[in-house]
Parts: sequence; C-alpha cells; structure tokens
Amino acid sequence: MNATAIAGAEPAGFFAALAPGGKRVLFALAAIAVCVPFAFPVLWLVLTSLRPGSGVYYVHRGTEFTIDNYYEVLSQPIVLQALFNSFMISTLATVLSLGVTATSGYMLSRFRGPVPNAWFSLIYIFRCVPYVSWVLPLYFVTQRLGIFDTYWGLLLPHVAVHICFFSWIMKGFFDGIDPSMEYAAMIDGCSRWGAFWRVAMPAAIPGLTALAILCWLYTWNEFLFALILTSHETPILTVVMAQFVHELGMEWHLMSATAVLALGPALIVTLFGQKYVLRGLRV
Amino acid sequence: MAEVVLTEVRKSYGPVVAVESFNLAVRDHEFVVLVGPSGCGKSTTLRMIAGLEEVSGGTIAIGGQVVNHLQPKDRDIAMVFQNYALYPHMSVRDNLAFGLRNRRMPAVDIDAAIKRAARILSIEPLLDRRPRQLSGGQQQRVALGRCIVRNPKVFLFDEPLSNLDAQLRAQMRLELKELRQRVPTTSVFVTHDQVEAMTLGDRIIVMKDGLVQQVGTPLELYRRPANRFVAGFIGSPAMNFIDVRLTAEADHLILTGAGIRFTLAGARFAGLGACIGRAICVGIRPQHLRLGAPAGGDQVGIKGPLMVSEQLGDEQNLAVRVGDQDIRVAGIDPDLKLAAGSEIEVSAPADSLHFFDDGPTGPAVRLV
Repeated sequence: MNATAIAGAEPAGFFAALAPGGKRVLFALAAIAVCVPFAFPVLWLVLTSLRPGSGVYYVHRGTEFTIDNYYEVLSQPIVLQALFNSFMISTLATVLSLGVTATSGYMLSRFRGPVPNAWFSLIYIFRCVPYVSWVLPLYFVTQRLGIFDTYWGLLLPHVAVHICFFSWIMKGFFDGIDPSMEYAAMIDGCSRWGAFWRVAMPAAIPGLTALAILCWLYTWNEFLFALILTSHETPILTVVMAQFVHELGMEWHLMSATAVLALGPALIVTLFGQKYVLRGLRV
Repeated sequence: MAEVVLTEVRKSYGPVVAVESFNLAVRDHEFVVLVGPSGCGKSTTLRMIAGLEEVSGGTIAIGGQVVNHLQPKDRDIAMVFQNYALYPHMSVRDNLAFGLRNRRMPAVDIDAAIKRAARILSIEPLLDRRPRQLSGGQQQRVALGRCIVRNPKVFLFDEPLSNLDAQLRAQMRLELKELRQRVPTTSVFVTHDQVEAMTLGDRIIVMKDGLVQQVGTPLELYRRPANRFVAGFIGSPAMNFIDVRLTAEADHLILTGAGIRFTLAGARFAGLGACIGRAICVGIRPQHLRLGAPAGGDQVGIKGPLMVSEQLGDEQNLAVRVGDQDIRVAGIDPDLKLAAGSEIEVSAPADSLHFFDDGPTGPAVRLV
C-alpha cells in the first residue's frame, strides 16, 4: 500500500487535525451547549424551591437553603388532593384512551371503506381545529351535563383529544406490523377480533407503551382544560400551582416547590419509558 | 377427500377486475402451482380460497363443500405466507401449538403433533426459541411446521420462498418436494418464479391480467405453450420470438423476417396454411439452437454477429444479432472460445419451432 492510499483513507479537514479523542470532546461540548438552555430553567426551578421566600428575588441575600417550602406546600390539603386528582385523572385518561385509540388505530391501518374513511375525516377535522377553541363549548357542555368540576367532566375531553392525536401514532405502529400474522391467526382458528387481540395487540406492545406514557404525561401536564373545566371540588395540580399568584404577590418559592413535586412523577415515567417514547415520537 | 374446485370465480375491486372466470379442479393430494407476473391475480385467487378475500362471483368448494361464506378458520386449510407470519411474542413451540389450542385439542395430542412436525422438519432444537432468534430458512421451516401440525385438508403457499436468498431457495425447494412425499396433502402454491413452478408443480396454471392463460403439466407448458405469453414466461432463458411473413412456394412454406429466411416442408406444417400471406410470430427456444449450419431440409438456420457470450461454468449462453434483435442461444460448450463480433451460424430442428398469431381468444395463440 503506498503513502497516497493511506493518506486518502484518513478523514480530511478540521476533524482530522484534532488530537485522538478531540472529536469526542468537541461533540460533548456541543451537546452541553444545546442542553444547558433547556436544563437551566429546571435547575433554577429546583434552586428556587429550596430558597426561603425572602431570598428568591435577591441572590445577594445569602446562600441559605431550606426544605421548608416543601413542608408548607405539602401541609396544604388542596395540594395533596390535587396531586391525587392529577394522578387519577392521568391514569384513568390513559387507560380509557388506550382502549379507544388501539382499536381506532387498528381500524385506520387495516380497513378500507366508508366507515374508516368517515372516521379518518372526523379525526382529521378535529385535529385541524385549534385546541383552545374547544374549551368554551366544552365548558357549556359539561355544565349542561352536570359533570362540571368532576372526574368525568375532565376525563371525557381528555380522552377525546387523545383519540384525535394518538390514533395516528397507533395507526403508524399497526402499519409496521405485518398483517399476514393476523391472517395466519384467522386461519389458525381466531376470529378477526381474536386475531387483533391475541396477535396484533401483543405485537404492538412497544407502541402501546409509548402511547401510554405520552397520554399520561400529556394529561399530567395539561393546564387549559383543567383551568376551565374544574373548580374547588376537583383541584388539579397544574391549576393549584398557579394559585400561588394572588393579590399580595407571587409566592415563587411555594410555586417552585409544587412544580418540583409535579416534576417527580413525570420524570420517573419519562426515565423508565424513554426508549418507548422516542420510538413513539419517531412514528 | 380434499379436492379444491373453483367454478367461474371472479374478483373485482369496484371497476377493477382482479380475477375473471377462474375455473380449476385441484385433485386430492395434487400439488398445483399458480404462476404469473406481479398483479396477475394469483395471490388474490389463493386468498379467496383461504377466505381472506371475499369472492365477487362463482363458487369455491373444498372437499365437496362450498366454502364461499365460511370463515378462514372453518375451511380446514393451512397457509404459509411470504413473510413467514410467525407470532413474534410466542416461542416456536407456542407458534406450532396456537392453531391446535384454538381447536381445543388435548395437551397430550398437541405435544405429540408438535414433536412429529418438529421431527419431520428437523426443528426440534429450535422449539423454545423466539422467531427473531431464527434465520430466514429456519423461520420458513417453522411456518411449514405450523401447517403440518394441523393436518388440514389443503395447504396454501403464498410465495413462501421469495424472501430467501438463491441458495437457500434452491434448498427449500428440495425440502418442499421431500415434505410433499412425506405429507401428501392437496396444495396450491403461488409464485412468480417459473423455476419453482416447473420443479414443484404436478400441474401449473399460468395467469396474466386476471385470466388463466394455460393449465397443464410442466412439460405440456414447456413443449406446447398455448400462447406467446406462456411461451415467453415458461423456460429460461426465455423463448426467442421473431416476427415473420408466411408465404408459399411450390410445396414449401417460406418464413421471411429481418435477417432470416426459413423454408419448411409444407406437408408437415399444414396447420399454417390459413396464415399464408400474413405476418405471424415464430418462437425458438434457446436450448433448441445449436452452433453450425442447418444439416438438411428439416432444420432452419440463423446467421449473425455474436454480440455477447455469458459463461455459466457448465455451459455458455450466446446472444446473436439478427435484424434488430438478439437471438439467445443456450447450452453451448463452455470451453469454446468465440470472439464478440464474429459471424456465427446457429440452427434448430424445424419441429422445435412454435408459431403464434392473433386469434379469436386473444393475441398470439398457438397455431401448430
């Protein structure tokens, strides 16, 4: 092998000039540069939650840290109730949504004809409508049905939104599953429903997991529906958090402590389901 | 008894007709191959037999019972798919047992059936693996096993070898033939590969544009193709077609085309008499052409420059330019050195020629 050939095999340009490992360091620095703007507000939130109320606005007022904010927040019954309600609403909305979106996504993926087409069009139209424009009609509907400020009053709109948004993701997952397996199951003694339930659904578990995590996080973080469709009977964490803004000012330290409490479950869910969420978002 | 009888079967999707007037009687234990190019309706026909597609017209009977309105599970069939269609969340053992459990077979019998199928297909060591841990060939064996355990009336195969590489495909073809001898079940096999069709089928049905072109044994199709499409589809390399004009001189028939002139004894080709003065198509199989000038009046010759030679090891194939087309010649001695561009002459027995013309049932039907 001659020298020219060896030189030709080396990557040319800027990266070639770096010392061994330099390329990796450069990429690490670039990654840090991208992550810091995203991580900084979260870090600041955590720091604020650990600062006394007097130290929030003025950095020069010492370096005192305290966990009293958490005690104060958790001593308020409404916060505990909101934590419980948010958890229940998120979990129930996820379970109900999965049931509908799995079948809806399967129909969109596998069937052709007037019914799937009409369903597809309906979902598409609802997706085109701005999210915020649903709120006022939903307020009147929940009032009329007598489910305002109840679990159902918040669950049903959430499930409706999930159906419109997540049926597409589920369709994508079923598109990736070979329908021959279901045909084989039908020949092996299953009905169409049996083939869906016993073959297509187990094959779609990674997709369903991603969907469950996305549904749960979406509902857990949702603010607008919770603000308009609930009141004192069914407090929701995202709304309760905002109630630390009152006529005497803003209690940033308490709001931050509540926000960190809200961050915990979402962080745990995301960390455990990161692999599936990424897959779901790529569909 | 498990004959499969299709009578005037038709399938349309709105205005698009996928299969038209399909008639076929597959005898008990017979292995029938549906072959044709993509979109010819062969897979649709198979799926109609399986019950995965509704029939637009006609009847399908399995074992004497019309099954048009029966669910796939009630037709007592088993099917092997192109992508194997194994259940990824189950072990090989559970894949094999799935259909039997659905039929509420006792566990002891399921175990015995799995052992028997695994022994036949040599997949005993794979029983506790998941499909993703198997190679393509192993997955295909498991898919075959899923059919065997059920002991159905009919096996249906939907291009089961097309996902395998060439070497494995040849091996699986042999294994399928062996399997057939051990488990002689009525089978319908769909493929677009004419080699698979010729090697596996007791009878072959050639399809094109939703219509059956010819039904026959592999040799019937090869020796007496019903039309130009079948002639071109069956055989490798494909048959050479030359457009010629047919005239008569004394007691001889003369075929003239770009760069060729064949003289045929009129008495032996009396069937061509009606086409005198018209343009027809003559077909010559590459395997029937030999190097050298015609040796006597019962041979025809073609002369032209050699364009390409393809070395295959045990033989070489040639392409000879005649007029504006290349005539393929197969089975030439591989040690023979032939220079590209050199003028060569090849000849074929006049008896081996095929003649096609537009007829009442479609274009290019067989004349003699």
